Amino acid sequence: MAEKKKVKLQFVLFDSLVDEGFWHRLSSLKLDTLGIDQSPINITGFYAPCSHALNSNHMTLLAESLPPELGEQSSLEAPIVCGNRNRCPVPGVLYNTNTLESFRALDKQTLLNSEANKIWEDIRSGRAVEDSSLLSRFLLISFADLKKWSFNYRFAFPALKLDPPATLIDLRPASVYFNLEEAESLSAACNEWRNSSLTADVPFFLVSITESLATIRPLRDWEACQGDHTKILFGFYDPCHLPNYPGWPLRNLLALICSRWKLEKVHFLCYRERYGWADMKLSLVGEALVSVSQGWSDAQSIPNAVGWEQNSRCITLASSMDPTRLAISAADLNLKLMRWRALPSLNLNVVSSIKCLLLGAGTLGCQVARMLMAWGVRKITLVDSGRVAMSNPLRQSLYTFDDCLNGGEMKSKAAVKSLKQIFPAVEAEGVVMAIPMPGHPVLTQEEDGVLQDCRLLQDLIASHDAIFLLTDTRESRWLPSLFCANTNKITITAALGFDSYVVMRHGAGPLCSPPVGNESPDALSVSLDDLSTVDRGRLGCYFCNDVVAPIDSTSNRTLDQQCTVTRPGLAPIASSLAVELLMGVLHHPDGIHAPGEIATSCSGSSEQPLGILPHQIRGSLSQFSQMTLLGHASSSCTACCSTVVSEYRKRGMDFVLQAINHPTYLEDLTGLTELMKSASAFELSLDNVTDDDEDDAFI
Amino acid sequence: MGFSSNWDGTLSPNDFNISARALCEKWKVTYPVFPPWAWVPCPRPFGVTSRQVEGYLSLEGFCCPKSIEGEIDNGSSSKEEATCPTEEEAVDDATLVQRNDRELHLYDLHIVRSSSYRVPALYFRGYNCDGQPLALDDIKKDLPYHSSKILKDSRWTFMTQEEHPYLNRPWYALHPCGTSDWMKLLFDNEASVTENEEIVQQYLLSWLSVVGQVVGLRTPLEVFSKKHNAMFCSSV
Ligand SMILES: [Zn+2]
Repeated sequence: MAEKKKVKLQFVLFDSLVDEGFWHRLSSLKLDTLGIDQSPINITGFYAPCSHALNSNHMTLLAESLPPELGEQSSLEAPIVCGNRNRCPVPGVLYNTNTLESFRALDKQTLLNSEANKIWEDIRSGRAVEDSSLLSRFLLISFADLKKWSFNYRFAFPALKLDPPATLIDLRPASVYFNLEEAESLSAACNEWRNSSLTADVPFFLVSITESLATIRPLRDWEACQGDHTKILFGFYDPCHLPNYPGWPLRNLLALICSRWKLEKVHFLCYRERYGWADMKLSLVGEALVSVSQGWSDAQSIPNAVGWEQNSRCITLASSMDPTRLAISAADLNLKLMRWRALPSLNLNVVSSIKCLLLGAGTLGCQVARMLMAWGVRKITLVDSGRVAMSNPLRQSLYTFDDCLNGGEMKSKAAVKSLKQIFPAVEAEGVVMAIPMPGHPVLTQEEDGVLQDCRLLQDLIASHDAIFLLTDTRESRWLPSLFCANTNKITITAALGFDSYVVMRHGAGPLCSPPVGNESPDALSVSLDDLSTVDRGRLGCYFCNDVVAPIDSTSNRTLDQQCTVTRPGLAPIASSLAVELLMGVLHHPDGIHAPGEIATSCSGSSEQPLGILPHQIRGSLSQFSQMTLLGHASSSCTACCSTVVSEYRKRGMDFVLQAINHPTYLEDLTGLTELMKSASAFELSLDNVTDDDEDDAFI
Repeated sequence: MGFSSNWDGTLSPNDFNISARALCEKWKVTYPVFPPWAWVPCPRPFGVTSRQVEGYLSLEGFCCPKSIEGEIDNGSSSKEEATCPTEEEAVDDATLVQRNDRELHLYDLHIVRSSSYRVPALYFRGYNCDGQPLALDDIKKDLPYHSSKILKDSRWTFMTQEEHPYLNRPWYALHPCGTSDWMKLLFDNEASVTENEEIVQQYLLSWLSVVGQVVGLRTPLEVFSKKHNAMFCSSV
């Protein structure tokens, strides 16, 4: 600016920045203390001189801008520490409304005027000369939507309008305006002012320069520092970084100068810093003409005020406030840690997208569901026809006493509710349904209902990826075993005795083609008619081990928990093994076709990162022992052999109904009847399993 | 206590405090362009008494190098609601009307001692100039290319979102479970640093010159820079 020409002096409005912590504390204040009270709240904003050549300093709101939360007063958390050079306090007021409508309907000009009036009062009374931090004020209007964790807000920084406006004669960097000696002296004086805890947060001051020696003094020293050879500048901490414009605080300073000291020509210093030190290249010195506004001498009159930010803004903090999202990221973290530290090949996408169907929501079902969630499974469907009984909650970990009241909630529904309480992001569904059982004849009028259940079960199995058989009777596992064998689904069974358990995965279905290259050429060339011989390589299902068709286990009890007397530790052990088995299948390259492996004494024998993938695990608490077993599919199995599956494919529900109504039909069909005659002395019970049981022990 | 050859790469609370002080001092002198590290003392949780002063190191308002370069990024999720200026407020010609501010990303970094791993852990967050927190994807875009590569390839750290131990709000963190291993390696190979006191003095500086790179704080300390770069290449 070589020639000094008069232009209108323009100011740059404060930039504002609201720290996340402010909204967090406002939210808890509103929830815990304020309720629907909309009274204005006194708050404190913070700013500092610009300290970056490219960025302005912001008027910042922090958690400590708000009054402390209840019960927090006693804590050692410092309230607002005075003398922090980077946090000059600015008084403000917050109007937080209860609705978006009332937020929009606020009379902004009136609110602004009332704050501006406080400034005006402080100027007239002289308080602002004593305490210059009163020259800047701000107000914040907001609407906090605590259901969506979003906050609408708008700032105003009231500035008294000079009338006529100030005109600018000159504005240039302080390093140009001053000679070197003056600039150095001023830098030193500013640094001293900024580094003293008494003055560091005093944002307005006087600069007097006598014979190249600069001193900084508070505003109240105005009269005292008048002198013939003294140059006086009005300094302020300038948050603005622009090289051609002063920041907002200058406006009210000029109003103070006009009304109090009636100057016409004002020299001002826009004080700015770099790296924490005074910077005379960034700091500006300006010369402005002001005139006392008409009517300002009138005690009643109030100057016009401006200062609203142009736009209202909206900030969304769902990612840090929405508890569901936080729960999800915490759950993810655990699994990612596991993958990162121990299992780089862990496929979390497969785990989180797999759909699991749990048939039975008792001791096993509850525990399996929990273990699945722990592994990151998100899609779980529970099927059960029972209600929660008084005896259940102690062993069935998803239920509580309340679920038993008033006759008891449906188990599948109560389980889903509980799963969602444990982890809101779970996609759980409950289906109330009894699983039709073979050998339990139904009346003609019940047939439709039973067939409907069959079809529902069929659909459920078709729409899920992994099926857990966790019911408490053998025969209720038959129909799902058949459907799973037919659709080639991953199927895992867990069953309990008094102190022993069996957990196993079913082999692939008999009519599905095995993965290419994984089977012998002979097997591939076998025709459908000859399928009974192919079963050799296939892993067995729950019924392959039996020489008794699944008819009525109440009279012919084997290893099921019909009596429901089991050692309480058993169900969690078996459930955990069932889920671990599923994870093994999911991470095995051959998936459902993976051959059954047997544990060996040498560790690290498996090529898979999760270790070996057994077919069956049997354990006994009486010996605290556990073993892995391998059993191939039986060609006369009542659930998974090709004869049964083919017959089902041919005749559909007619076949199912016949199995339900005729106790010996399945045995006749598979030749079991014949087999039993020849092995009448053979009786299998899990409790009799000994160390001699090895490969093919159950044929 | 002593650092013998079987020192495990961890820091006691007291050593952490000493090391933190050393970092603050050295930082001010070496990197005046960056905001300073400040020690934030924290009260112990209720009922816990200790002579030890707990706290963490904080560096706030660090502008992301990329956004300083002035790259245009429209990824902000904070919305401005346009309002008609004439409706309630007369236009004031003494107010400079500015074009919309360019995108500016600010970062806060905290160094907190993890008591379970007994090593320092870096917590950080990024936000727009109006306070809207940045999502992890936005942050990753801000990071220099080499740091995203480090995160992807290396087995020594990875980014998580975790509750800040003192602020009780979710911050991003570099998980500290691998830290003691590579810190031990770092000092084992440093023939010149054998004294216990020296290790304590150097610990956070060396640590930061490694993890700082991940969040775009490129401050290779002269003494260690070569070896650290080698570490990234071989991904310890
Ligand atoms: Zn079978």
